[in-house]
Amino acid sequence: MHTTEQEDLQPIHPEPEGFWPKYVFSRDHKVIAKQFLWAGLIFLFVGGTLAMMIRWQWAFPGKPVPVIGPLFLSDQGGAIGPATYMTVFTMHGLIMIFFAITPILIGAFGNYCIPLMIGARDMAFPTLNMLSFWTFVVSLVLVICSFFGQLGAAGAGWTTYPPLSTNIGTPGSGQTFMVAAIFVTGVSTIMGGINYVTTVIRHRAPGMTYMRMPLTVWGLWLTAVLNVLFVPVLGSAALLLFLDRVFGTQFFIAGAAAVRGGGDPILFQHLFWIFGHPEVYILILPAWGIVSDILSFFSRKPANWYRGSVYAMCTVTVLSAVVYGHHMFMTGMNPLLGQGFMILTLIISVPAELLFLNWLRTLWQGSIRTNPPMLFALGMVFVFGMGGLTGLYLGATATDIYLHDTMFVVGHFHLTMAAASFMGSLAAIYYWFPKMFGRRMSERLGKVHFWWSAVFITLVFTGQLISGYAGQNRRLYNPYEYSFLKHLLPLNRWTSYSAFILMAGQLVFVWNFIHSLVAGARAEMNPWQVGTLEWTIASPPPHHNYDVIPTVLRGPHEFADPLVKAKLGRDWIGQAEPLLQELPGSSTPAAAAGRA
Amino acid sequence: MSGAGASILRYRPRRSPGDSTAWLGMLLFLGSWSMLFAALFAAYGVLRLRSPGWPPADQAPLPLLLPGANTLAIVASSAALQSALRSAREGRTAGVLPAAAAALALGAIFLAGQAALWTGLWRAGLRPDGGPFPSVFYGLTVFHALHVLVGLFGLGWVVARAAKASFGPARHLGLRLWCGYWHFVGAVWVLLYLTVFVL
Repeated sequence: MHTTEQEDLQPIHPEPEGFWPKYVFSRDHKVIAKQFLWAGLIFLFVGGTLAMMIRWQWAFPGKPVPVIGPLFLSDQGGAIGPATYMTVFTMHGLIMIFFAITPILIGAFGNYCIPLMIGARDMAFPTLNMLSFWTFVVSLVLVICSFFGQLGAAGAGWTTYPPLSTNIGTPGSGQTFMVAAIFVTGVSTIMGGINYVTTVIRHRAPGMTYMRMPLTVWGLWLTAVLNVLFVPVLGSAALLLFLDRVFGTQFFIAGAAAVRGGGDPILFQHLFWIFGHPEVYILILPAWGIVSDILSFFSRKPANWYRGSVYAMCTVTVLSAVVYGHHMFMTGMNPLLGQGFMILTLIISVPAELLFLNWLRTLWQGSIRTNPPMLFALGMVFVFGMGGLTGLYLGATATDIYLHDTMFVVGHFHLTMAAASFMGSLAAIYYWFPKMFGRRMSERLGKVHFWWSAVFITLVFTGQLISGYAGQNRRLYNPYEYSFLKHLLPLNRWTSYSAFILMAGQLVFVWNFIHSLVAGARAEMNPWQVGTLEWTIASPPPHHNYDVIPTVLRGPHEFADPLVKAKLGRDWIGQAEPLLQELPGSSTPAAAAGRA
Repeated sequence: MSGAGASILRYRPRRSPGDSTAWLGMLLFLGSWSMLFAALFAAYGVLRLRSPGWPPADQAPLPLLLPGANTLAIVASSAALQSALRSAREGRTAGVLPAAAAALALGAIFLAGQAALWTGLWRAGLRPDGGPFPSVFYGLTVFHALHVLVGLFGLGWVVARAAKASFGPARHLGLRLWCGYWHFVGAVWVLLYLTVFVL
C-alpha cells in the first residue's frame, strides 16, 4: 500500500479529553497495553504467592504458613489442609498461564509493540481492543469470585480434567467460576488475536514488508494466529464442562446406565490439549521474537539468518497444531498413534534448534552490551535451552512412561513456559520501559535483579527435575508419606529455599519499577540506539504515534554497516532513515536521536 | 486497474481500505468461531461413536419436520439478507428495507420454532441430564440459538438503519458484516440439522 493509502486508512484522531475516555475506557493501544501490564503484574504476584505456598507445603508439610497462614488460613490453624492445597496449585497454574503471562506478553507487549513497530497509528479495531481488555477484567472478577466460592476455589488442577472437575470431583461454585473465567478470558484473547492479525496484515507502513518486520512482531503475530485458531477449542471444552456442571448435561461424565451410554472424560483431554499444546507456543513465541530482536540489538550485529528465524517460527506454529497427543500417551492411546505423535513432537526440535543456533550465531563475535534487557534475553536463552532439552525425554514415549506425571514434567514446563516466559517478559519490560513511561529504569538494580532471578529460578526448576527423576509424583500433598520419597525432603527443602529467595528478589524489581516510574531519569527518544520505528518518536509516544506514517527502507537489524559508519558515524541506521541521499540536517528524527 | 475491461453494468465502486480491513476482521472472527463449532461437532461425533445406540433404546429419535421447516426459514432468511445487500450495492435503496425486514422476521420465526421444539421435547420427557443424547441435542441447539439471538439484534440494527435509507453502493459495511455473520449462523444450523437430526 502507498503512503497516501495508509494515511487515508489511519487518519489522526484527536486525543480524547477527560479521565474516563483517556485512562479507563481508552481505545489507545498504548494505554490498553499498560492496563494489561498492570493487571498481569498484579496477578503475577498473586500466582507467585500461591507458588510459595506450594513450596512451603513441600518443605514443611502441614506446618503453619508464616504471614499467609494467619491472614487467610486461620480456620485451618494457619496450615494448608489437603483440600486447600488442591485449590492452591490449581489457582497457581491457571492464574500464571491465563492471567499473568498471557496479559503481560500478549496483552501488554502485543498491544504496545505491534502498531508501533510496524509504523501504524493504532490497532485496526481500537474499540474491539478496549472491549478485549474489559472482557479480560470480567474474567479477573470471576477468578476473584472463585477464591470466595463455596467450598473454596477451583481445585481440579490447571488442566481441569473430568471427572475431577465435574460436580462429583469438585462440587462448589469455585470451580464453576473458574471454568467460566477460562471461557471469558478466551473470548478476550480471541478479540485481541483478531485485532493483532488484522493490524499486521492491513496497517503495515509502506515499505514494511513481511520480511522487514522485527522478529518481535513475527512472534506476536504467529501467537495471534494460534490464539484465533485454538483458543476457541478451549472455549468449547470450557463450555461443555460448564454445561455439565450447571445444567446437568453428561458430555464428560461416564454414565452408569449401559443402555444410554455415557459421556467421555477422555474427550475433554482431547479438546483441552488440541488447544493446550499450541498454548505452550502461544506463551513462548512472543518471548522468542522479543529475544531474537534484543540479542541482535545488544550484540550490535544483524540477527543471524533473519529469514531462517522467521521460517523456524512459522514451522513451529504449524507443527504445534499436530503434536498434542504427546500429553496423552498414558490415556490408553493406540501405541501406533502414540509413535506418530512422538515423531511429530521430536521434529519440532529441528526448527527450535535452528532458532537457537541463530541466537548463538547472532552473539558470536558481536560487541555485546550487557544492559538488563540483554541479560534477561541471555537468561531466557539459557533456561529455554534447559527446558527444551528436558522436553525430549517427555516427547519420546519410552521415557515419558516413566517420567509421566512426575515433578520432571513440572520442572520441564516451568523452565519453558514459566522461566523462559518470565525472562522474556522482563527483557521486554526493561527494554520498552523508557518508551512506555518516558523514564529509565535503574541499570544497577536491573542487573542485581537479573543475577538474583537467574540463579534461583534455575535452582528451583532444576530441583524439580531432579526430584521428578527420583520418582516424586507431581501434585502430592505430602510426598513423604511414601517411604520411597522420604529421602527427598532435604532436596525439596533446598528447592523451596531457592524459591523463597527468588520471590524475595522480586522486591528489587518492584522497587525499581515503581521508583523509576516516578523518579527515573528522563528517557531520550532512542536510548538503546536501535533502528526499529518505535525509537524514532518521542518517549512516551504521542496519542497518534506517527505525525507522518514512515516509509520503511530496510530491515530491523541494520547494524555494523561500514557505509552507514562512514556516512553517519554510527553503527546503526533507522528502518525508515534514508542513507544514499543528502542528509536533510536534523529533520530526520532518527538522525537527531543518534546525535543525542 | 483491474476493472478496466469489465462491463460497465457489473461495475462496483472500489471498496475503501477501511471496509476491507473490517471485512478481514469479520472473516477472522468467523474462522475462529468455526473452530469452536468444529470442536463441538467433533465432541458430538466422539460421543456418538462411543455410545451403544443412537438414539438410545429408551429414547425416541428427534423429530425431523419442525426443525426441517426451521432449516427452510433460516436459509430463506439468509437469502433475503443477501438480496438486501445486493440491493444496497446496486443502488436500489428502496429494496433494502423490505428484504432486511423479511430476513429479521424469518430469523424470529426460526427462534420461535426452536422454542416450540424444545418445549415439545421437554414435555415429552427429554432432559439434559438424560445421558449424552439429550446433552448433545440441548447443548448444540441452545448454544446455536444464542448466536441466532445475537444475529437478531444485529438484523434489528440493520432494519433500523435501512428504514433511514442509509445503505447505498458506497455505504453498506455494517450490512455486509452482519450478512457474513448471518450466513455463518445459517450454515452452522444446516450442518447441525444434517448431523444431529437427519443422520
